[in-house]
Formats: sequence, C-alpha cells, structure tokens
Amino acid sequence: MTAALSVFISRIGYTKVGDHWDKSLSEIAFQASKVLLKEEASPPDAIIIANALSELSSSQGNLAAIVADALDLKGVPAYRVEAAGGSGGSAINLGVNLIKGGQMESVLVMGVEKMRDLDPAKVMQAQGLSENADYSQFFGISIAAMNALLARMYMHEYDVTREKLSAFPVVAHKNSSTAEHAQFRKKFTNEEVSRSEAVADPLRVLDCAPVGDGAACALLVSEDKLSSEQRKSAVEVLATESSSNLVNFFERPKMLHFGATEVAAQKALKKAHLSMEEIDFLELHDSYSELTAISLESMGLSKQGEACNDAAAGRFDLNGQFPISTFGGMKGRGYPVGAAGVYQICEAFMQLTERSGFNQVPNARFGLVQSMSGIDSSAYVHVLGFAGRTGRN
Amino acid sequence: MRTSTPIAIEGYGAYIPFYRLPTTEVARIWHGGGAGANKEKAVASSDEDTTTMAVEAARIAVAMAGVEKNLGAIFVGTESKVYAVKPTSTIVAQALGCHEILAADFEFACKAGTEAMQVISGLVGSGMIDHGLACAIDTAQGRPGDDLEFTAASGGAAYVIGRSSRNSITKILGSVTYVSDTGDFWRRQGERYPRHLSRFTGEPAYFHHVETAVKNLFTEFKTKPSDFQYAVFHQPNPRFPVEAATRLGFTMKQIETGLLNPVIGNTYSGSSPLGLAAVLDIAKPQDKILLCSFGSGAGSDAFILEAQEPLIEKRKMGVPVRDLIENNVRIDYGMYTKFREKLQR
Amino acid sequence: MLGNKCEKCQAEFFPPVNICRACKSIDLKPLEMPGAGKILSYTLQKESVAGFEEQEPMVFGLVELSNGVRLVAQIVDFPYESLKIGSKVKAVFRRVKADGPSGQIYYGYKFGPPRSPRETSATEE
Repeated sequence: MTAALSVFISRIGYTKVGDHWDKSLSEIAFQASKVLLKEEASPPDAIIIANALSELSSSQGNLAAIVADALDLKGVPAYRVEAAGGSGGSAINLGVNLIKGGQMESVLVMGVEKMRDLDPAKVMQAQGLSENADYSQFFGISIAAMNALLARMYMHEYDVTREKLSAFPVVAHKNSSTAEHAQFRKKFTNEEVSRSEAVADPLRVLDCAPVGDGAACALLVSEDKLSSEQRKSAVEVLATESSSNLVNFFERPKMLHFGATEVAAQKALKKAHLSMEEIDFLELHDSYSELTAISLESMGLSKQGEACNDAAAGRFDLNGQFPISTFGGMKGRGYPVGAAGVYQICEAFMQLTERSGFNQVPNARFGLVQSMSGIDSSAYVHVLGFAGRTGRN
Repeated sequence: MRTSTPIAIEGYGAYIPFYRLPTTEVARIWHGGGAGANKEKAVASSDEDTTTMAVEAARIAVAMAGVEKNLGAIFVGTESKVYAVKPTSTIVAQALGCHEILAADFEFACKAGTEAMQVISGLVGSGMIDHGLACAIDTAQGRPGDDLEFTAASGGAAYVIGRSSRNSITKILGSVTYVSDTGDFWRRQGERYPRHLSRFTGEPAYFHHVETAVKNLFTEFKTKPSDFQYAVFHQPNPRFPVEAATRLGFTMKQIETGLLNPVIGNTYSGSSPLGLAAVLDIAKPQDKILLCSFGSGAGSDAFILEAQEPLIEKRKMGVPVRDLIENNVRIDYGMYTKFREKLQR
Repeated sequence: MLGNKCEKCQAEFFPPVNICRACKSIDLKPLEMPGAGKILSYTLQKESVAGFEEQEPMVFGLVELSNGVRLVAQIVDFPYESLKIGSKVKAVFRRVKADGPSGQIYYGYKFGPPRSPRETSATEE
C-alpha cells in the first residue's frame, strides 16, 4: 500500500465560549470564520457543519445550507454532522477522510452551537438526546444523572473518594483561568469543587461542563495545496480514528471501561507510528469528572482506579507528564456541545504552533485529541503533529 | 341474587400506597377534626393514579388465580378516573397483556368496585366468560380544608372471579343490592372535588342503605350475624361501620379485621374490597364473610362469601394487607399538596 | 418490561435487541423480564428534564435484575438516605409523564422497595 495523502490543518478560527445572546447560530459561525475566509484566496471545496442541537435550541434544521449561505459560500458543497457531543470530532474525522479519499483538496470544518438562551429544563432535555429515547430519555433521566450513576459505580468500585474525583475540575480550571477564549476563567480549589452544589449526587455542579455558545473552525487541506513555506506553519493530522460502542453503558460487560475510546486511540497511535509515551499533551472529552478518569484509564494513561491519584500528583498538569485539557477542556473552556470537538482541534493547533501563551506546553510536538458522543457511545481520536516534526517557526 | 352456576373468587390483590398523612397534619393547617378519629390516611405518590394502583393489585390477583391472559372481562370501579373520556380498564388490560376482553370503567361513588364484582359475577355465572377481573381502586379527592380531607385516601383491591371449583379460594354464595336517589355526596362534571351534605351522609344515606341491603341479604339467604366469622363494611370514617355493624347485631370481633379506616383512611371504591382482602389474608376454610359496600347517590351491595381450603396456600402469592399498611413513610401537609397536585407552579 | 431471549444461546436482553449480542443469532423471542433486582448505583437528580418538573427531585438507579440484565430506571418510594448499593428493589407500574394537563398520560416501569417480607425473599431468589 502506498502512503496515503497527508492532511494538514492550515488555519483555525473560533469565538470565545459563553453567552452569545445577541447572535444567531449563523452569526456565531461567521464570527469564528470571517478572518480565515477573508484571507483565503479561494473558498474551500466543501464545508462540514458540526452541530448537535440546532433543532431544539434554535428551531433550525438544514444547517449545512443555512451556515454555508451565511458564510457566503454559495456553490460550495455543504454537509452537517450530528453525533451529540462528538459532532465536532466526527466532522474532523470525515473531513480528513474526504481529503484522503482524493475527492476534495480543502474542507472547512465548522463547529457551532448555541444553547445559552434555552430554559434549563430544555437544556437538560437537549443534552439527553444522546441517550436512548425509549429506555433512558423517556423516564426523565438527565445526562448528568446518567454520568452520576457511572461516577458512583467508579467511586465504589475503586474506593475513590469525592475529594479525589475533584482533582480533574481543579486541573481544568487552573488551565482555563489563563485561556482567553474560555467560558470560566476562574480557578477552584479541591474543596470548592467537592462542596459545590449537587447536580446529580455524587456529581457536583463543578464536575459538569458548562453549556456554552460558540463556534470554532479548522481548515483542512491536502499536502498538495500547501507550499513548503505554508507547511512550516501548518499542523499535520497524523491519524484520525473512530469507534462505536453499545449506547447504553449499563449494557456493556465492563461498564467502567470505554471501549470505543480505547480502540480509536490504539488505532490512531498505530497509524501515526507513535506510542502514548511520545504524546506531549491530550485534549480530552472531560464534560463530567468521571469521564476524564475513565477515558485516561481506558487509554492506558493511568492504571484502573488510579487516574484521580495521578491527577492529584500533578501528572496531568500543564507541566506534568501528560498535560490534559490545556485550555480548560469542556469543563473550563466551556462545552458548546456539537462544536466542542472543533475547539479541541483549534487548541491542539495552538499548542503545536506555540501560540498558547500562558497555557503553552513546552516543546509540544504531538498532541492527542479525544472526543465522544454520549458516554463513549462513539469516540473520535485524532493525533496531530507539527509539520515535519522538526524546526519551528 | 344468585348465579345459575356457582361462582367464586380465584385470586385477589391489594394495593396501598407507601405514604401516610397523619390527620394531625390536616388539623395543623385547617384545624377541626372532621369525622376525625382516623389516625392517618394512605396517600398516593405524584406518579400514582387509579390506573397504576389497579395494575399493581391486578397483577397479584391474576397471578394468584393463575389465569394469566385468559380473562374475559376487566372492569375498573372508581370515582377517580384518570381520563374523563378514555377507559382506565383498557390501560390495565394492556399492562396485563389482555386484548380479547370486555373492558369498562364503572362509577357509583364508593360502591363502583363491588358493582364491578356483581357484573363480573353475572358474566361468569351465565357462562359468557370463564374469568373476570374487578378492580376497586380510588385516589379519593377531598377539597383542602373539607372534612373529607382528613379521610380521603388512596388504595384498593382487585378480584378475579370464576366458576366455583376445587381450586377456588372463596365462594361467592350470593348477593343483594339496594339503591335509591339520595343526594348525600356528588361531584359534578368538570369539578375537581366532590361536595356533600353533611346532614344527609349518615342516616338517610349510609345507614339506610347498608342496613337495608344487609337485612335483605339475611332474609333472602336465611342467615343471621352469628353465622359469620367476619363482616366488612364500607368505611367512610371509623365510626359509621362500627355503628352499622352494632345495629345489625355484629360484634367488634367480627368487624375489626376488615376495619382499616383508622390506619389508612377512606379509599372510596377500594374501601370495603380492601377490608375483604385483609380478611382473606387470615380467614380459615369455611369461614363465612359478609361484605357490604356503600356508594353515595346511593346504594349498597352485600355479599355472602365462604373461604375455601386453597386460600391457605394461594394467598402466599399475594402481599398481605397488614404489610402494606405497616410498610410506610409519613409525610407532612406540604409534601401531600405536592403529591396530589394541589400546588400551582 | 418486555425484553427478549436468544433461542440459540439463551442470552437475555433488555432493551430487546435485533441481533443476539452474544452469538449474533437473529432468532430471538420476546421475554418478560423478572421484576426483582438490586441497586448497582443511584443518584438524586436535582434539575429536571423538560416535562418532569412536577416530580423534581427524581431518584434514578442502575438496577441489576435477578437474571443479570441491567437497566436504568427511576426509583420511587425509597427514602434517598436509606438507598444503598445492593438495596433490593422490585418493578412497579407508574405514571411516567403527561403531555401537559390535557394531553395523553404515559405509563411505564419504575423500581421501588419491596413492601413485604414476602417480596424481599422473592428478590433474593
């Protein structure tokens, strides 16, 4: 087999995550991409919109054409991807594969979500859409409560205390406190997390990623489109892999293991010819504290039941062995559901191109991005590397 | 009234919700004691209604009878139908997996349940059906502050009736019924709570109908109070059934087993059928039981029943009424208003 | 709670599956799930999902049925403080939600504590 075509991320764009009450979905998408599109000589060959909830949040379907129109991309093929919280990760995966398939030379992946003006009960309903309609949603269980069931089992199985679980939000908020685009630029102590208001016992409000409005985009291009000069400032997608799992976590033989995440990560590392030891930082789908712990353990970064101890010991800090959620992740940067996976890509891009300011991971050469739909019902793992793996700009 | 073919109870199931509202809680808010003297009443949770309680009781009754899907009729007797238009009985039938079946809801204030038993008896006795299910259930309504609020409770029982055989648990030897147009208690279409004329609820209503029905039963079946080991009367409050029983010549010993009002309140259509279930939980073979209901508007059904040998084994499949009474949690008036949709949001 | 059972390898499923997760057979027959189970995990959900505001706060549990099948269900009539991992529960028939005050009412299964020593022994089978 000949080496497949290489795909690069040449540019990114994003808005601050938070409240965009004065803007529609399309307007947020425009804000995120206006500089990028203005500076590109020609429009992309396709645009993929990643969005999970526009039907409920904005009574808007047909989002591909709606957003393409708003970005003045008439004539460009437009698609929309929906995979709940994994929509962004899924769109990146598909965009890369479109280029690798030779059909397109450039694809703009645009993640956009707007939920902040929804009634909280509607937000709960919208977030719950990722779970089985007849056997979970029907009974009124929220996604937070589903995660709480998993968190209690995790804590019970491995004898993890409430305080230990708080290590992850502490790390996330430490990182988001210096991230300009983050929704919550505030540090929290372990005690503040543990004693914050209970959302779904044992999970506290500070265990749960805040829903935010936002849009982020990444321009994917084939190697042939880039000049050697452009390549020096581009990030290469070394691998992008996906896997699916039983949707109901309680049906899985091993409930405290994320099989989709494990498989996608293994495949991606193998394709990238890298071992986990060579990864310099990770962007994780950390929308609930126990998801971070189980994801880390499923990818082999911590022993089973040890992720919280490792976090408390500083292993996942910006200056630790495996920095995670370097701009705060879903937890600190904020969680614009369908767009979250594209924010992760933008953040990895910034790390690899050394544009991360206070949040910079020193000498970051390789980054791993994991995002998921629901509770590991699908997982998307991308391995990114700075072009050429050598000199930097 | 007698059926041409002998009939019997084949299975029974009781249901009393988990929550109790002490009457002192109602008195704390509204003062007074109403017809008082009952200690507490059973309150359905916010997700319970006549349908859910009927299904719970019916599942036990059907399992005990061992008839599974071979029911020919399901009737639900209640004055707290969940839909004004749409049968409760079809939802119960669906939950039991029955479809080729007569299904209807009966309303006759507090005697809708025994009314359903009468009609099932007729259908079985005539050979139209082999087995029928009568559910006697209510989530009784009492206007906040009204005397009824001290007693209006939730619960009931379900009975599977079939032709008398050596598997029957209790024979139905016969019944009578007595009705008249009496304006003691009513609820108009579209109204949330019933109204009553206090002066009329006692003598011209409850006592007249109960006593007449039981006396007619004695005459028609040539029997007398001392022939019965147990007697169960409708229980709108703790006083009326004792008073009626005494006037008719029954002793406290005969009625105390089936007298549940003091601890669960008045479950309306479910009241005397639940009392009967409590009796069946402990009766011995050949014990004779009198059951007499009362429904406002007004009327009484009275039955002569005789416990049979299989009752001893088969009742082990049920949940004893005593356990349902004792397994409870007390709530305050605030929680009660939340559960029974008396709060506006 | 109607699940199904693989005719080939006898594996039992709830929710029912189209293809046996164990042996890939498509020869499956409907099977009513046992009503007895125990709690593997539980939570008190403070914020309600739209349509469930009246029941706030709700308790949910991860229940393992006596046949080993696991499901998530609302837990009712169980004082939250006394709920434990391992608590015995049984299926009950309850109102799940309604389309407002004038719409249809939806019923379904939930789980609650055994009401009698007789039921407690049944859940231990």
